[in-house]
Amino acid sequence: MMTQAAIAKPKPGLWAGLFLANMAIIAALFITGAIEPPAPYLLFALNFALLLPLGKALLRRQVEAGAVTTAVRRYNRRFLTASLLYSAAMLGAGAATNYIAPHSPLMWALAILPILPAFGMIWAMMRYLAEETDEYQRHRAINAAMVGLALVLALGTGWGFLETFGLVPHVWAWWVFPAWAVGLGVSMAWSELRSGGAA
Amino acid sequence: MNNRLRVLRAERRWSQQDLADRLDVSRQSVNAIETGKYDPSLPLAFRIADIFQMTIEEIFLREEEVKAAE
Repeated sequence: MMTQAAIAKPKPGLWAGLFLANMAIIAALFITGAIEPPAPYLLFALNFALLLPLGKALLRRQVEAGAVTTAVRRYNRRFLTASLLYSAAMLGAGAATNYIAPHSPLMWALAILPILPAFGMIWAMMRYLAEETDEYQRHRAINAAMVGLALVLALGTGWGFLETFGLVPHVWAWWVFPAWAVGLGVSMAWSELRSGGAA
Repeated sequence: MNNRLRVLRAERRWSQQDLADRLDVSRQSVNAIETGKYDPSLPLAFRIADIFQMTIEEIFLREEEVKAAE
């Protein structure tokens, strides 16, 4: 019985770690020129499939910690849908980019395609803060968002100056979202650890 | 902030989940308030007081009161 419970224990940290490690490997391969577009976009997009088990493990962990509210369930559903659409858009746009004339209207459409579901993720987060009636959960979410913001500001400013002085390669601005999400996740995990699993 | 929630709950034989259901918040929130990790807003403190049919001051303790009791 104990062993079964141990095996069934949700491991969101493992999935998140795997997701981030893959992102880092793909980024490293791309920066060093080992892979060329559209391969990095396609690999990034495929990596998003890991968000499915990650989302599932996170929800189970939240249920165990007694942290699930109606707003959390709604947010999880919206965010997962938006991120899967984002991955599909990236996959589609990445695959089509080589067959379309640069600066053509179609290229604009292709570039905008992943932006829409990314905005959907931001909308899901705004809605969560508006709909959450549990003030402690809202407090945790806002704290975590602030940690994410601090990470983005620190990395963005730090990297920006290093890049200005020609010390590091250029990094695309859309990295702000994953960087922010990492800060959010770390803060949520930290507060979970501190609460030591509600009795 | 120190409080008597755990004792009051025990007197009524309520679990954290029971109190959470009555307050319409998550169990984790009840735990955070009970252990003093989170101070509830005034509206939530009034809801807690109403559930126990007490005043806020009878549930949540000022720091001086805790020191005096020690």
